[in-house]
Amino acid sequence: MRRAELVFAAGLVVAGLVFLQEALRLPTGWTPSGPGPGFFPFWLATGFTLTGLVVLARTWKASHDPTKSFAPPGAWKRVLVVFLPMVGVVAFLHTLGIYLGGGLYLAAYARFVGRHRWPLVLAVSIGVPLVLFFVFERWFVMPLPKGTVLEWWLYGRR
Amino acid sequence: MDLARTFQDLLYGLGVAASPPNLMVAVVGLLLGTAIGVLPGLGGTNGVALLLPLTFHLNPTAAIILLSSVYWGAVFGGAITSILFRIPGEPWSVATMFDGYPLAKQGKPGVALTAAFTSSFLGGLVAIVLFTFFAPPLAELALKFGPPENFAFLLLAFATIAGLESGDPVKALLMTFLGLLLATVGFDIVSGSPRMTFGSVSLQSGVNFIIIAIGLFGLGEILLSVEERLQIEGMRARLSFREVWETWKLFPRYVWTLLRSSLLGFWIGVLPGTGATPASFMSYGIARQFSRRGSRFGTGEVEGVIAPETAAHAAGIGALLPMVTLGIPGSPTAAVMLAGFFIWGLNPGPLLFQENREFVWGLIGSMYLANVIGVLLVLTLVPAFAAIVRIPFAILAPLITILCSIGAYAVNNQVLDLWIMLGSGVAGYFFKKLGYPLAPLVVALVLGDMTEQAFRQSLIMGQGSPTIFFTRPIAAFFVVLAVLIFLLPFVRNRTRKVRGPAVPAEAPGAAGS
Repeated sequence: MRRAELVFAAGLVVAGLVFLQEALRLPTGWTPSGPGPGFFPFWLATGFTLTGLVVLARTWKASHDPTKSFAPPGAWKRVLVVFLPMVGVVAFLHTLGIYLGGGLYLAAYARFVGRHRWPLVLAVSIGVPLVLFFVFERWFVMPLPKGTVLEWWLYGRR
Repeated sequence: MDLARTFQDLLYGLGVAASPPNLMVAVVGLLLGTAIGVLPGLGGTNGVALLLPLTFHLNPTAAIILLSSVYWGAVFGGAITSILFRIPGEPWSVATMFDGYPLAKQGKPGVALTAAFTSSFLGGLVAIVLFTFFAPPLAELALKFGPPENFAFLLLAFATIAGLESGDPVKALLMTFLGLLLATVGFDIVSGSPRMTFGSVSLQSGVNFIIIAIGLFGLGEILLSVEERLQIEGMRARLSFREVWETWKLFPRYVWTLLRSSLLGFWIGVLPGTGATPASFMSYGIARQFSRRGSRFGTGEVEGVIAPETAAHAAGIGALLPMVTLGIPGSPTAAVMLAGFFIWGLNPGPLLFQENREFVWGLIGSMYLANVIGVLLVLTLVPAFAAIVRIPFAILAPLITILCSIGAYAVNNQVLDLWIMLGSGVAGYFFKKLGYPLAPLVVALVLGDMTEQAFRQSLIMGQGSPTIFFTRPIAAFFVVLAVLIFLLPFVRNRTRKVRGPAVPAEAPGAAGS
């Protein structure tokens, strides 16, 4: 737990320094039109970095408590199993689109993590994208990424 | 204060809210909201954030009625799972669980549920009446504010969020800085030059608040729930009319608890950045001290259900008061709603009362109607809502993740936003795990532009001298108050170290409200 806190706080300080460097590229002082565009970001980044340092220093001083762990055993795997497929869906958004990609994700998760029966898996992974399709494309007229595969199937080769 | 005018406006607002399309929107919002409140891993804040993109196509009045009804529904819904399954569907229903679940275990789930819904209804009612009569004069006062007063008030807002946060004040301050920093990304309002973009063209239009909120709250919460691995074991829920009536007969005994909790909740809600969650905890604590049966709290006292529920709903309504009158959200959920104002083409702030009578009074009118409809809906539909909890988590988790992505994409139709959403989801997960509060980040991100503008205008007014914040009485008052409130937790920590820990830490997962 302590190590995770230390690493995270250190990361925040580094991020603060990066922000600070970016803010310094702008005029941070008084300009003819009042405080310059970099004024606010500069002081905010300074404040952010300093508070980050305080958190870091405090965590450093705190004693290590071995009973507190960052996550229960096996938790990492469960979190990644939800998260990584979604990253995959976004990465393949251009080809699969949200409907096919989302359906595949639902099916895989319900089957391999939830160990649900195939009929339920199929009902959910086909039903949900269909409902979403009608809600967004028809009802709200809000086109979502359909992906090249679905577009080819819906509208043919153009 | 012009009472006759207020009554006239209120009648008009009730008329707007009672028009069939708006009424339908309110019912849909309440049903969705209650479902969202029941589902663990989906809360009022992320429910509103997820639905926000859908409101782009509605007119502003219907849109705000939808979102606020979702919020009220979530307030009602959170109690159901707390009482029946000992899973707080919402952070503000954690305190309801302390006595609600023992009551249910003793075979009286009906009493606990009825008490929760009824007190939520009554707390809401008191708060709405207060809202109706406080809003117009407050808006009038706010019209007299200049940039220094505005900035001083915003400062007060940030101080109360950091100061009243039960966790670590330093981390709260850090998150406020981060939110304000992220808000500066994009074109500078005064000079027009892009800044903090790290050379990226896509970042020039700024970091969209809704996308960050969806990631932090929606996705982050799901990742946490997956990790904690929910186990659901609960009891059947059905309310008989007799049970409801028997519970109602208990209420006259608790008039003082109800009144105290409503006023307390409303006031905490009005304070910028603090919503239903701290209100419910505080109200529970105070009721325990005041009650003659205080020592039996935690074993299934009806009063222990009434106090937090009353305050939670009152705070939810109070949180909208500064949002409508000053353009400053009173809670994280209100902050998400406020983000909608800009998209619907409204300028939040005191001018709304003059320029958008339909919007403001329609919202107020809908609060009355939604409160009545809401309590009737939950009392009759408890079994249906309790059944939602039985949706397998292996279907719910990917479904919510997909909805988060759709919500984030719908804002700008940009794939980059999906990556930002995923990134904020991971960040939200770590923030919550390591005790960095999300509320200050969210509120600061929404208010960032406004804060910077007020600050720069004030400095220009004062020819570069910050003394302008102290020479104007209202501004000076706010600044001093802000500093005091901000220092409060440090003083409290000192005394606590001397006396030893007295107050238990806030329950896990209690961040948004």
